[in-house]
Order: sequence, then C-alpha cells, then structure tokens
Amino acid sequence: MTALTFTLKKELSHSLDCSRLTAAVLADKSIAEIKAMTLEAHHTVADWFTVSGSDASHIVFKDTNQHLSYIGKQMQNGTITIEGDCGDFLGQSMKGGTIICKGNAGDRAGDKMRRGILLIEGNAGDYCASSLMAGTLGVLGATGSHLGYSMKRGTLLLAKSPTEQITWVDCGIHTLPFLKLLFKSFANFDTQFAKLTSTRAQRWMGDISGIGKAEILLLNQD
Amino acid sequence: MNVQKNGVQIDDTFAEAFNMRGTRVLITAQNLKWAYNAANAMTGFATSVIGCGVEAGIECELTEDETPDGRPGVSILMFAMGSKVLMQQLEARMGQCILTCPTAAAFSGLASEDQISLGKNLRYFGDGNQISKLLPDADGNNQRYWRIPVMDGEFITQETTGMVRAIGGGNFLVLGESQSQVLAACEAAIIAMKKLPNVIMPFPGGVVRSGSKVGSKYPKMFASTNDAFCPTLKGGVKTELDMGIESVMEIVIDGLTFDDIALSMKVGIEAACSLGADSGIKRISAGNYGGKLGPYLFKLHKILGA
Repeated sequence: MTALTFTLKKELSHSLDCSRLTAAVLADKSIAEIKAMTLEAHHTVADWFTVSGSDASHIVFKDTNQHLSYIGKQMQNGTITIEGDCGDFLGQSMKGGTIICKGNAGDRAGDKMRRGILLIEGNAGDYCASSLMAGTLGVLGATGSHLGYSMKRGTLLLAKSPTEQITWVDCGIHTLPFLKLLFKSFANFDTQFAKLTSTRAQRWMGDISGIGKAEILLLNQD
Repeated sequence: MNVQKNGVQIDDTFAEAFNMRGTRVLITAQNLKWAYNAANAMTGFATSVIGCGVEAGIECELTEDETPDGRPGVSILMFAMGSKVLMQQLEARMGQCILTCPTAAAFSGLASEDQISLGKNLRYFGDGNQISKLLPDADGNNQRYWRIPVMDGEFITQETTGMVRAIGGGNFLVLGESQSQVLAACEAAIIAMKKLPNVIMPFPGGVVRSGSKVGSKYPKMFASTNDAFCPTLKGGVKTELDMGIESVMEIVIDGLTFDDIALSMKVGIEAACSLGADSGIKRISAGNYGGKLGPYLFKLHKILGA
C-alpha cells in the first residue's frame, strides 16, 4: 500500500483546518469518501487537495504552505509527513504516532500534546510546545518566542539555541545515554532527525510557572 | 546397552526437570566491565530456588549492535518456580543491583504476552522527577522506558520484560578418579555450554558439588546430601559408585525450552568426555527422582544419539 497523499491544488490565502485528516478518521474510507469530506464550510477535501494512495496509517501532505493548520490534531497513531511548510497548531493534542514536518511549522506546534513524536526539520514559530503535557517534540531549526510556555512534562529537543526564558531553569550540560534510544527510534522514519548522534546536551527544566517537569534538551553540535 | 564416549561410560539413565518461569534482561553499561559488575551482582546468590528464590546467570555478552541503547552489555536469564516469586526477585534485584550500579541500564530481552515489571515500580525512586518515554522499536511497536535521575546521571530502564514458561533442572554428573580431574572435565563442559543461547548453568562456575536427595533423617530438612554419589561413603551406604570413583560433580542447566537444555547437555557431555577415560573421567550419569516428580526426562543415551 502507498501512503495516503494529499497534494494541495491551489494557493491558500487563509488558514485551512486540516484536523480531520488523521489515520483514525480516514482509516476505513475510500478515496471518493475522503474527497467528499467537508474540510471547512462549503468546501470539501477535493476542493483543496488531490488525493492518492490508500495507506491511512501513513499520511503525506505535498505542495504545502503555512496556511495548513491543525495537521495531526488529536492523532492517535500512524505517521504524518509534511513535505514542506505547515501552519499553526501542528500536532495539537496529539495522543500518539509520529508527525514529521520537513519544512517550517507555524505557531503553537505541539500545543497540549499528550503523547507521540513531533519532528520539525525547519523552524518552529512562537509558543512552540505550549502546554505540552508529554511526548517528544524536536526542532532542528530556530524556535520563536515563548518556547515551552506552560509546558508540563515531555521533552523538547533542539538543535539551535533558544532565546533565554525566565521560567526555564538551566540544569547544565550532560551526557545522556537515553538519547541513543531516542535517536534509534527516529531511525524508523525518513527524517533528518535520524542523523543525530550527539548524546551531549544542555538541559533546562520548566516551565516553572507550572509543575516544571518538562525538559528542553539542546544538543551539542560538536 | 553399553554406551561410551571416548572411553567414558554413559549411564542408561535420565535427568529429571521441572516447569519454571523464566525471563531475560539485557544489561548495558558504559563498557563491558560495568555491565558485568551489574550482571554479576544481579545473578549473585541465585544458584538454586531452594535457598535463593531464583536461579540466574549470564547467558552471553552483547555487542553495541545488539543492545537497545547501542552500548555493550550482557544478557541474563532468571528462572523461578512461579511467576510471583520471579516478579518479586526481579524487582528486588533490579533495585539493589542494577539501579545502584554506575552507568548500568536494563532492557527487556524477551517478547511475550506475559509482561512483568522491570522498571515499572522502580521509577518511583525518582521521587516525581522520573521521566517516561514511549518510543517505537525497530518493528514500530511502542516500548515504554523510564529515565530516573540518579547521582551519576540517569538510570534508564524499560518498563517491563517478557516472562515465559521454561524448564529448570536439566543436569548431568561427571564421575572420575580424582577431584581435580573431574573439575577439569566440568570446566571443559562449561566452556562449551556457555557458547549456547537460552540456557544458564546457575551454580558457582557452572558446577555444583553438593547434589541433593529429597528428604533427610532430620525432620526440618527437606533435602540432604546425595549420599549414593558421595565417594567417601562408598561401602557405608547404598552407593551408585564403584571403588574407582573418588569424585563426582554435577552441572545443572535451566533453559527456555526442552530442546535448548537437551542440546546444552549433549554439548557439555561431549566436551567432558573429550578429555577421555585416560584423564580419569570414568562415567557420566544424571540426577532424577525416578521420573515421578518432573514432567521432563532428558535421557542421556537419546540426547547423545546413541
């Protein structure tokens, strides 16, 4: 089976809510049924996307842009690959599975995420990992302001230094063998994250305005 | 039928073995030295279920490519008479031997439907600072790991490991003209047997000298010395030994399956016999209870293809 693929047909000038395009919703639907699904008022999936493939456990978005929002919202399993940029609220409240964004993500990526792996190969916007409860969110590019705002538990893995934030406590630099386990799990996917090797990382705990059990790990690039 | 191997007589008898529950744990560390430190502690005082609760041993070494965290390690097998004891002993030994050992980590070594706690309860040592990670393995199945902050960094353990039905008590006896000759034959056997997967020989160095029989003249003792195989009692008790036998030692094997134990016994007996009758090894026998107690009978002649 080939991945269920959504290719954006035309330029979007407004935010399009893609939250219904997850494995749980699409699993038992035919291509025709998927095309007929309503994405927003007066518009169906077919109005915005060409649809191909059949494997709903692996969903691919192509020719994407920053207006595709809520991709992977509440997803529970499977893999979503975005072969470009995406909009706000990527992986909001996701409960499992893996999302790989090969471009940049908008604001509030991983908002209220509970479980799973969310990997952004480009930049992430403001409020990345806001209110994240558990799981792993990785960003290879730059991150915006208010990183990990109200983040409760979980891991935020960074390759580039974040801006300093007063509600995150510096725990120093450590060698963490756990990272080998994490990188090994990335090897299951077609992502730049699978190339990570450094087990040396700077660790922050936060957000101490809340329970403060989350962590930011900044990988040493040496 | 008179069966000999290299001039060593193989008795027409059998080893009698029992149902057990078994598990496998992979121990990794910064290097093999510390993996062994952890594994030796975890499998220490685990020679016999009679007094130790479990029987455990190191199965084999693991390269970096064979472990979940890419560090060198060892695989250990642990056996008990029931699942409850196995779970209790595993948790206790994890807490006292692996959690405490610098750089050591523990992972599941068995995939099975029955799962028992590895670090599931040990995580509370983190006092609220423990971190759970649910990560897909190479097959895409999610595995839960715990990261527990400790003074050397982090202790990493998988949440559970598999438990399977297993067999304990496979054995054979090496009978010879002197203690040193019998021990040399047993050492040769253990070297050969340690190359096989899915089995352990839980006694010190893999060899036991104090084989036992059921019961005793003392009411409180439920096992006592196997006087029929004690060389110094020849003539004084009903003996299994002729006058030329001066020493007897036993190798006990626990394994995951009947075939694993049978192969291990075959390889061990052949290695012991390879020294030959000229080196003082006279007989190979086995311990049993007349076939009335254990459901598994390992017949020596059949195992050796005689």
